[in-house]
Amino acid sequence: MEAIANHRFTLESLSKSITRRLAILVNSCVHCGLCSDSCHYYLAENNSRFIPAFRTDRLSSLFRRYHTWLGRRIPFWVGAKEVDALTLKELTDTIFGECTMCGRCAINCSIGMDIGFLIREARKILVELDQVPRGLQSAVDKAVTTGNNMAITEEELIGTLQWLEEELQQEVGDTWAKIPLNKAGARVLYTLNPREPKFFPLSIIAIAKIFYAADEDWTLSSTNFDATNYAYYSGDDQAARTIARRLVDEAEKLGARILAVTECGHAYRSIRWEAPNWLGKRFDFQAKSILELIAEYLREGRIRLDPSANSKPTTLHDPCNLVRYGGVVEVQRYILRKAVSNFVEMHPNRERNFCCGGGGGLLSMSEYAELRLKAGRAKVEQIRQAGAKVVATPCHNCIDQLMELNKNYNLRIEVKTIGEIIADALILPSGQINPSSDYPSKKG
Amino acid sequence: MAFIEFRGKKVEVNEEGFLIRPEEWSEELAKVLAEAEGIDELTDDHWKVMNYIRQYFLDHDIAPMVRLLCKETGFPLRYIYQLFTSGPARGACKLAGLPKPDGCV
Repeated sequence: MEAIANHRFTLESLSKSITRRLAILVNSCVHCGLCSDSCHYYLAENNSRFIPAFRTDRLSSLFRRYHTWLGRRIPFWVGAKEVDALTLKELTDTIFGECTMCGRCAINCSIGMDIGFLIREARKILVELDQVPRGLQSAVDKAVTTGNNMAITEEELIGTLQWLEEELQQEVGDTWAKIPLNKAGARVLYTLNPREPKFFPLSIIAIAKIFYAADEDWTLSSTNFDATNYAYYSGDDQAARTIARRLVDEAEKLGARILAVTECGHAYRSIRWEAPNWLGKRFDFQAKSILELIAEYLREGRIRLDPSANSKPTTLHDPCNLVRYGGVVEVQRYILRKAVSNFVEMHPNRERNFCCGGGGGLLSMSEYAELRLKAGRAKVEQIRQAGAKVVATPCHNCIDQLMELNKNYNLRIEVKTIGEIIADALILPSGQINPSSDYPSKKG
Repeated sequence: MAFIEFRGKKVEVNEEGFLIRPEEWSEELAKVLAEAEGIDELTDDHWKVMNYIRQYFLDHDIAPMVRLLCKETGFPLRYIYQLFTSGPARGACKLAGLPKPDGCV
């Protein structure tokens, strides 16, 4: 009971942090129901619980109870609800387990509510109430305490990058090919998702190969290399600021003109669009997706591709945070059309694309895994209808979800990053194309 | 929480099939986990990878970097992905009885 009293106190005291935007949106839903068919959860489960408006209503009912005159006095009259253990558990399941904050409902909302924003505001409240699911919180804690969300040490990172550099040199047949570290004055500071050095380093070699072919002046940081920001997902603005500040400080320390973000939707969104607000400043460098750089290289003739190297029918999955919320929409298409000989769009696409089901930090929350895989059904249907053999997506998080969908729904597809596809089609300065069929071949 | 039946008792796993208590792992249990993963038969190469991960976890309380995995087993990276189609984390670490690694996996 004491815990619930604390929760009440916390909720009442939150009034200090209610912004005008939140106060307006939380009272705006007209319950028209248009959002229902836009949501991949509702399409998969066909249950009113999964209508986006239902989710926001849970937040609204709490808001009305604690922050409106009528809600405080005659709560039942306005549908206001007390916080108790049951509704808190329900709220947590709804806000963390049944929404990927993909924002597809927002573009279908008759009054233009950004429902993804509201869900994150609700997550912020649950941070205060200490309700963030364990796996997600653990990723945030690791990032805050160790500098990256997988607790990779500097020594481990350097060892891995040296190994990858040898592979790169073998791959391009040039011992001058490098993976530069902590290089002050480099034009581009490239940042990673820690899962790349830890478990999936082929994507690092792919991008290093592209930088090599484009003769880019680039570097990685051995300490502040993690582009991800799971505090964006958890709703913990304080941790989000800490994590974002490290990247910003690193880019400024090295004097980079461009901070390039690996293929990771929420990482791009965090540093490009959220971090300036979190930190209250404009940056001296540009934050760009690596896709934007690759497109520049192609436009400027700095790299050339042979699309015949990728002849299988290839489709593209648009990550929500990169595309719908991030505004990076066309460059990936421009690149892929030059890198594969048979590109097919899935439908709907671009900002109307369906979430893969793994967004919002859902992949790190095992307790919702079963529903996450069911909610991927809309994506599965899209992939089947596109008839492609390869699904490219510029997001490591989406890749894991797509790999699981591939397995669970027997899609028989390959899932690849865009960088890997480009690297396979790259015409090297020597004139050779050297598909990465066997590397890294050496023993570490 | 979910359970898997093993030798007449229930072993607790999370909703994605990772063991809750890594100390409950055994080679026999790994075979059961492998079936759920769609691996019909664990070969010597599977065991080489799993045993290394297992020992590293017992020593360091975390999964090894994939570089060490390649170095210590002598296997090329792509071969490890072939052995464990769900990848080193969701595949090999799960079968070696590790809890689910943190982060984007």
